[in-house]
Amino acid sequence: MTAETQIDSYLSSLRLQLGPLTLAEREEIMREIGAHVRDSAEESGASVETVLARLGPAEELAAQYRDGVLIRKASRSLSPLVLLRATLRLATKSAFGIVVCFCSVFGYSFGAGFVVIALSKAIVPAHTGAWIQDGRLVSMGAFVYGVSPQAHEVLGMWIIPLGLIAGSLTLLFTTLVIRTSLRISQRWQSRL
Amino acid sequence: MAKQRAQAVEGDQSDRWEAQLRKGALEMATLASLWQRRLYGLEIIRFLERNSRLVLAEGTIYPILSRLKAEGLLTSEWVEAEAGHPRKYYSLTDAGRQRLRLMAEAWASFAAGLSCLLEPVLEKQEEPQ
Repeated sequence: MTAETQIDSYLSSLRLQLGPLTLAEREEIMREIGAHVRDSAEESGASVETVLARLGPAEELAAQYRDGVLIRKASRSLSPLVLLRATLRLATKSAFGIVVCFCSVFGYSFGAGFVVIALSKAIVPAHTGAWIQDGRLVSMGAFVYGVSPQAHEVLGMWIIPLGLIAGSLTLLFTTLVIRTSLRISQRWQSRL
Repeated sequence: MAKQRAQAVEGDQSDRWEAQLRKGALEMATLASLWQRRLYGLEIIRFLERNSRLVLAEGTIYPILSRLKAEGLLTSEWVEAEAGHPRKYYSLTDAGRQRLRLMAEAWASFAAGLSCLLEPVLEKQEEPQ
């Protein structure tokens, strides 16, 4: 394989792996990496093969670009799907990512839970509420079979606004925590 | 045998700690390399090797540059060179200069604080046995 075909095959494999980026971004990256390989080989007198080895596999280089774009987009996004996808990716890379991923699943489920309780009060009021027995909270939420008859319900219709507020605050807080964590994680991503 | 393994694990952990430390500094170092003039990727890599002990896998710098550019800290331009192909030069934006100045100040005061703390530790090592 001649030097030029080696460079071409590295670049085309890079192009393939850079799928999610825009065409213009991909072209720019390929031009830049191509220039790096030619300059580096010329400067050190090393073979193109050596220079490509120092650059690392095309998949790994592309993954660093892709992660950068994924996390950058997510850290500005409000969509739980986009944010969860980015935290999942982060979880494959570090213990910090696993913690963030766990917290975000927990936060989203909790927030959604509050909203579901508020909605179900409107639909099945008798089965939804917060029940107190002997001075302590025995159950709270929406129940198919109802709660023990000795307990009495305390919140009434207040559970709707309370559930909605608690739910949206939890969802908002989770979103902010994920976005901050993603921003912090960008600093630690690069490989030495 | 067990002791050797324990030492190996310890060495491994301190390597990892050092790697984390370097990673944390890499973004600042990249910005700092552009303080005086614009450079292209390979020049940045060589500059960092020469002026700091940050030796990096050569591919690493490019995704970082692309991220710093997306954050508005760097701009880039293609410049024709006598090598026969154009090179992508990076330079700091005003926001980049400002960010770097803040980072440098924070780094210097952090390092100064830690040096005081670590002084006795390092002194002890130099004492004759």
